[in-house]
Amino acid sequence: MEASTSSAAVARQTWEIENNIPMDTPSGDSDAIFEYDDAAQSAILQQKPWTRDPHYFKNVKISALALLKMVVHARSGGTIEIMGLMQGKTDGETIIIMDAFALPVEGTETRVNAQADAYEYMVQYSQTNKQVGRLENVVGWYHSHPGYGCWLSGIDVSTQMLNQTYQEPFLAVVIDPTRTVSAGKVEIGAFRTYPQGHKPPDEPPSEYQTIPLNKIEDFGVHYKQYYSLDITYFKSTLDSHLLDLLWNKYWVNTLSSSPLLGNRDYVAGQVADLAEKLEQAESQLAHSGRMGGFFMPVQRKKEEESQLAKISRDSSKITVEQLHGLMSQVIKDTLFNSVTPATTALGLSLDMSGPEPMVET
Amino acid sequence: MSSSSGLTFKLHPLVIVNISDHYTRIKAQQSGSAPRPLPPAPRVYGCVLGVQTGRTVEIFNSFELHYDATKNVLDRAFLESKQEQYKKVFPKYDVLGWYSTGSDIQDSDMLIHKALTDINESPVYLLLNPTINHAQKDLPISIFESELHVIEGVPSLIFVNASYTIETVEAERISVDHVAHIKPSDGSSAATQLAAHLTGMHSAIKMLNSRIRVLHHHLVSIQKGEVPYEHSLLRQVSSLVRRLPAIDSSRFQDDFVMEYNDTLLMTYLATITKCSSTMNELVDKFNTAYDKQNRRPGHSTFI
Repeated sequence: MEASTSSAAVARQTWEIENNIPMDTPSGDSDAIFEYDDAAQSAILQQKPWTRDPHYFKNVKISALALLKMVVHARSGGTIEIMGLMQGKTDGETIIIMDAFALPVEGTETRVNAQADAYEYMVQYSQTNKQVGRLENVVGWYHSHPGYGCWLSGIDVSTQMLNQTYQEPFLAVVIDPTRTVSAGKVEIGAFRTYPQGHKPPDEPPSEYQTIPLNKIEDFGVHYKQYYSLDITYFKSTLDSHLLDLLWNKYWVNTLSSSPLLGNRDYVAGQVADLAEKLEQAESQLAHSGRMGGFFMPVQRKKEEESQLAKISRDSSKITVEQLHGLMSQVIKDTLFNSVTPATTALGLSLDMSGPEPMVET
Repeated sequence: MSSSSGLTFKLHPLVIVNISDHYTRIKAQQSGSAPRPLPPAPRVYGCVLGVQTGRTVEIFNSFELHYDATKNVLDRAFLESKQEQYKKVFPKYDVLGWYSTGSDIQDSDMLIHKALTDINESPVYLLLNPTINHAQKDLPISIFESELHVIEGVPSLIFVNASYTIETVEAERISVDHVAHIKPSDGSSAATQLAAHLTGMHSAIKMLNSRIRVLHHHLVSIQKGEVPYEHSLLRQVSSLVRRLPAIDSSRFQDDFVMEYNDTLLMTYLATITKCSSTMNELVDKFNTAYDKQNRRPGHSTFI
């Protein structure tokens, strides 16, 4: 028992060093982030440093609690988009998210009506929260894009631009719960829009993600109007301690999770979407290949990878996720199914050194 | 003494993180303004929400309560407005009980417990011990139920300990994992993703292995006679061993092989797509390279 926890700690430290993650300052200080200084926050609100630079905020720090709440809420919505608000404060160029709460409205196209209802709920919730020590103000909103990636749609962009005019500082966060479960890592993005007419400097496109065909137009039209911020997470010392201990209990869930079963619909949808994209690409390439063969190479020099390359990347990604799921299934099968009654007698007396399969067939 | 009501309790990690955050927040706010040495850690109170189906009580979420410790008064209006708010967003969850922090049960706790009985006839009480004790391997959380016991001829309500299990939804597990172990968030390359996934499986299996080793060690010492013979334990171990193989039917094998084949098919398709994309690029490059030779009219196609 001791060996496993200390080797896990060693592995984590090695990983942290390799990836240049700043080590948390020892216990007393890391909890300082939870203190709320009302005077300092009001002073910042008076100064409004963000009005001078549209690209002012560059980082986001999300607390463990906020992340957990948002992901659970997003997943509970299933295929329906959900939304909620986030509370926190600012710290120089970083927006710190301490907490999040869900709003009793579903993401629909007619967002304007929802805002009025949500506003009432928000005011009431903030008031009750202040009584129990949650002193932070609302600094952003989050919503989910189940299955189609983390980016801002046209309506999202206009909502956010409105927010950034009247409720600064404000942040938009998008979560994709379906892809989270499928990929095994949290799909989340934090964005801020540029003011109307602002020409952003030519930044390299952020981490590539697949967008389904029916949404790709919406994505393409607006992607230059906002930029994404880097996200880091933090947790309190008590949180870390509890989460470490929690591992002792939920390793069972890790083993028993089967992503393949849960994500069948999503995977099927992705494959179908890829098929459609392939058809589109085929017609496009066939058309341009023959007569434009001479002109194309010149134009395409500065363009991003061709349609077909993008599709092959998407297909690799979805296949890799599927393979991961299958690997888990095979491991579990070897572990638990490869025992036959004849070998159980031997099972107990086997030498159990190291992480070898426990029973040999 | 342990609970005899036969209810099984399931706890979600979100509740644990909620309570921990509530406590840290209050502590930080108090210590931020108070002079050193710090005042003793405050107790925080809240309600737990969840679903009770039959004999299983599953605790999903929680929210804070306003409790005046000096006057021992629970703010009812606050509780009700919070309850209403949470009902709007999570209509399926009911108030199942309450929580507080501290190292042990106190007498005042029973008063709060009784106050909540009008919302839920048999509320649960969740106690979290926020003192960080690194030697401790178990979660410092205990769940108590209230039971009517006759003590010295007087029937009274006392708290009895109940056991619980941790339950997670897949998304919850991934985000807890993400925050706890700081998994690589930009693992865009397939290699890092694979490594992360397999490391997770490996750690889980290592835990399983170590637990089984403990059992094995115990059994060996029973065999040697060092530890007294315990029938119930042996019965449990024997039933555990007899559970393997976990599933051994032909239908499972068929389904398993089919899923395996589906995945192989996907891999095949993906490889073909990649292949055709590479071919396409090759042809394009070839065309570009040999372009000049094609400009002259009447010239036959290149080869």
